[in-house]
Amino acid sequence: MKIRKEAEMENEAESMLTSSQEMRDLAEALSLYRSAIQHVAEKQAARPLAMDRKPAPSFRMRLVMVPALAAALAVAVIVPAVSHLHGHRGITAAKVVDVTPQTPTTTVAQVDDTQLMNQIDSDLTEDVPDALQPLADMGDQTATAKSSETEKK
Amino acid sequence: MEEIAGTELAIEKKEQAVLELADFDEVVRVYRPRILRFLLSSLTDRDAAETLTQECFLKAWNARAQFRGDSSLSTWLTRIAVNLMRDHLRSRSLRFWQKTRGAALDVMDISDWVPDGRTTPESAVLARDQVALVWKAVDELSAQQRSVFVLRFVDEMELEEIAETIGMNLSTVKSHLYRALAILRERMGGKK
Repeated sequence: MKIRKEAEMENEAESMLTSSQEMRDLAEALSLYRSAIQHVAEKQAARPLAMDRKPAPSFRMRLVMVPALAAALAVAVIVPAVSHLHGHRGITAAKVVDVTPQTPTTTVAQVDDTQLMNQIDSDLTEDVPDALQPLADMGDQTATAKSSETEKK
Repeated sequence: MEEIAGTELAIEKKEQAVLELADFDEVVRVYRPRILRFLLSSLTDRDAAETLTQECFLKAWNARAQFRGDSSLSTWLTRIAVNLMRDHLRSRSLRFWQKTRGAALDVMDISDWVPDGRTTPESAVLARDQVALVWKAVDELSAQQRSVFVLRFVDEMELEEIAETIGMNLSTVKSHLYRALAILRERMGGKK
């Protein structure tokens, strides 16, 4: 029993020694790792800024793609907007242009209408004889005949 | 009496932190190496680390009015860097076709590193081998485990500060650190 306890204690002590040795190794490795990382970071910090250096492909792609996409988007948004605005202005201008000559055209049309109406009116009065016109004509003819007879006499 | 003195000290610390932020060039000069170191060891990608460092200071500049000095300037900046890194890793995982990293940092980058106190070439080689083992083990860690590990063993932050910076419970931080160390011990040839 006693021997067993002693063996257990020895094992425990051994494992404690091993773990403390292991812990020391681990602590040393971590300390070295910290020092190495600091060295790498200092080296990196001493380098010129990323913008001055040749960027990595992914960042190069980003640098190219992002402005290109932004430009395409801007074109896609601005061009239709501008053309729409321009078209709207054009229509307005055309309307203005159209309206300006329309005023005289309307007047002309109005004049024409008046002239036409007058013309029709006059034509009607001329061509279409009055209901008593034939009698009047006959009267005229009788009068003419009578006067010629008188002249003969 | 002690309570009043404590409050005054806290106010003084806050004012000092806010005042420190006023000279932003100095802030960049002082804290850039630290932020870069954190991002470099967490991402092991030079370009990403550099870009995120710049973004971190840009964000800090834009949000400087919101800084009230409740935490130290270093914690505040590291918190911004952690958030940026989280976003970066999220977007990178979405870009699943992107297999290679832009400018990956590897163990070869320490080839010119001379460890302190190692006089003989053999001991220097031994030290580099040890670092290489840690490096590989860190590379195997999850993003959260790595952040906690780096903040503890590279930036030498206290666990409470790490919890505040990452926005985790103290117990979660301890758990991540425990797992990270278990992996490290295993890779170093020790017990899990």
